[in-house]
Amino acid sequence: MKIKQILSPELISTSLKSTTKEGIIGELLDILIANKKISDREAVLAAVMERERKMSTGIQHGVAIPHAKTKAVKELVACIGLKPEGVDFDALDGEPSRIFIMTLSPIDRVGPHVQFLAEISMVIQTDKARQQLLQAKTPQEVLTVFGL
Amino acid sequence: MAHEMMFLALQLGVILVVAKFSGWIFSRKLHQPKVLGELVAGMLIGPYVLGAVPLGSLGPLFPLTGGTIPVSPELYGIATIGSIFLLFTSGLETDLPTFLRFSGKASVVGLGGVIFSFLLGAGVTVLLHPEVHSIMDPEALFLGTICTATSIGITARILGETKKISTPEGVTILAAAVLDDVISIVLLSVVVGIASVEMGGGSIAWSTIGAVAFKAVGFWAICMVVGIFAAPHLTKRMKKLESLSVMAEISFGLALLLAGLSEMAGLAMIIGAYIAGLSFSQTDVSMEITERVKAVGDYFIPVFFAVMGMMVDFGAIVTVLGFGLLFSLIAFIGKLVGCGLPSLFVGFNLRGALRIGAGMLPRGEVTLIVAGIGLASGAIGPDMFGVAVMTMLLASIAAPPILVQSFQGGSGYRKELAEPEEADMITLELEFPSERAAEFIRRSISDAFRAEGFYIRTIEGSIHSWQIRNEDMIFILKRHGSVIEVHGKQQQEAFVRLLLTETLVDLQEFVDSLKSMEQPEMMGAGLLINMFARQQESDR
Repeated sequence: MKIKQILSPELISTSLKSTTKEGIIGELLDILIANKKISDREAVLAAVMERERKMSTGIQHGVAIPHAKTKAVKELVACIGLKPEGVDFDALDGEPSRIFIMTLSPIDRVGPHVQFLAEISMVIQTDKARQQLLQAKTPQEVLTVFGL
Repeated sequence: MAHEMMFLALQLGVILVVAKFSGWIFSRKLHQPKVLGELVAGMLIGPYVLGAVPLGSLGPLFPLTGGTIPVSPELYGIATIGSIFLLFTSGLETDLPTFLRFSGKASVVGLGGVIFSFLLGAGVTVLLHPEVHSIMDPEALFLGTICTATSIGITARILGETKKISTPEGVTILAAAVLDDVISIVLLSVVVGIASVEMGGGSIAWSTIGAVAFKAVGFWAICMVVGIFAAPHLTKRMKKLESLSVMAEISFGLALLLAGLSEMAGLAMIIGAYIAGLSFSQTDVSMEITERVKAVGDYFIPVFFAVMGMMVDFGAIVTVLGFGLLFSLIAFIGKLVGCGLPSLFVGFNLRGALRIGAGMLPRGEVTLIVAGIGLASGAIGPDMFGVAVMTMLLASIAAPPILVQSFQGGSGYRKELAEPEEADMITLELEFPSERAAEFIRRSISDAFRAEGFYIRTIEGSIHSWQIRNEDMIFILKRHGSVIEVHGKQQQEAFVRLLLTETLVDLQEFVDSLKSMEQPEMMGAGLLINMFARQQESDR
């Protein structure tokens, strides 16, 4: 699956405001609602929080990939949010999370969903790419890091 | 028409029952390839033996028909479909990268076999046949050509049954046999050209013969290149149909089309079918197509071999028995030496050379095609046709046991096949508390890969290894006792790590739900207590 088909400037926020995990997830969902990618906010929020309860998606080096499978979407949707100051996301390395990539995929539908997560994670595996992202002032600058 | 169809149904019924049973006896009791049993079944029930016996008002079940083929055109048609099924699945089972890697070696082996066999066959005819004085005599040319073609069908079936198709020797044999058939058919067109001119008392038009040969070779080369490049794109589009069965059926339809076009271009239909199979072999759905096509092919392929057996006219063989035996021996030596010897110079050891020589021994469909055309054109008589059939028969009967035996023991290739660059590969390992738990999680991992659009198949000859593939992404999943391993390329490491993590997270949910289940042993006790409840009620 191509990142280009999923991401667009409207789906990116370079200045998330919340200071809590739930607040960040809520803001990311609002981006998807504003772009008509999802409609049932409550169902999706419940699915994402349930996934977080099982195991935090805050990986390492300030990156978090909140995701869930839900009936509320018919195809894979994603958005990106940045919070350069960092938020406690219960990350595996204990560091505050700054880069948030949210993906939602449909239940019972075959498709390269984890592959998309892997593809996008691979782009920000270097310190240089992460720094570039955090310094981005516009959504287009974020997309440039992903080669778009 | 209805009468012919009724006859065809009866004939096919008898062929399937007898050939399948005979194949079972040969494979289970005599430890020989099934194909031999099917050939022998055809000989016994064919028009020259039991098939000629009248069955009351019905008459003989397999009456002799006029022309070169002793069975009805309808039955021969079904047998031809069988040969297309066989070669399509043989192509599907061939490992294309290995095939291409060994095609250079196969050309040396194939050409060696063709040249040596042709010269030996034509030479011995000149030496022993009182009426043949020159190697350019139509009879010598035809008998030389008869020596050249290898039965890719019989060889492919044996290699398939013994799971040796993708070994260096296996692919070399198959690639050389395909080339052999192509060269033999080109040679046939040349020989027919020369023979018709000579019998008509005219001079040979080399330009016409050259054009026929060029057309055949050109068609073969173009189909190979186009097929190999087009098949992955084609399957990608067909996946949108979301039905593996439809995909397999369309693929076989394309194999039939290519087979027909191949015949139109002057090549045998089996060559087109093989190229079609080879093209699809590299796609991620090759196993799914093979599985489905094979299930149907199992009904048609025995008919093909039984009909080949039915061609044997024992009466015609008796009159030329001495010459036939000697000619068969020469044809045997021609392939064993002509193919075995060159293979020694292209990386194989003595064991490999013997395997390749033995694999090139069987004669079959193309031999019969060559002999049939020779007979129909009047270039050879029924006696020499008998010799051709005898050669085909003896080589086909002697070759399978030799081939099976020769594949015992170690590698026949001098250099080890290079593994994909090890440095580029990663292995992720997970250990679980028990074998049962590991197997349960292995299934969950397989399901997670399927949900991502991957196709999974058990690796041949292994019990706990699976190949997971989606287009050019390939992983190997293994379970050793309670340990699960996933091997793959380094650039796909992030994907495997995320997929395994998600599977384990799902598992946690499952474990939690199990824990919440109150006293499963009480649930079991409840089931047992109620086991006799109905009986007790009726006793009251």
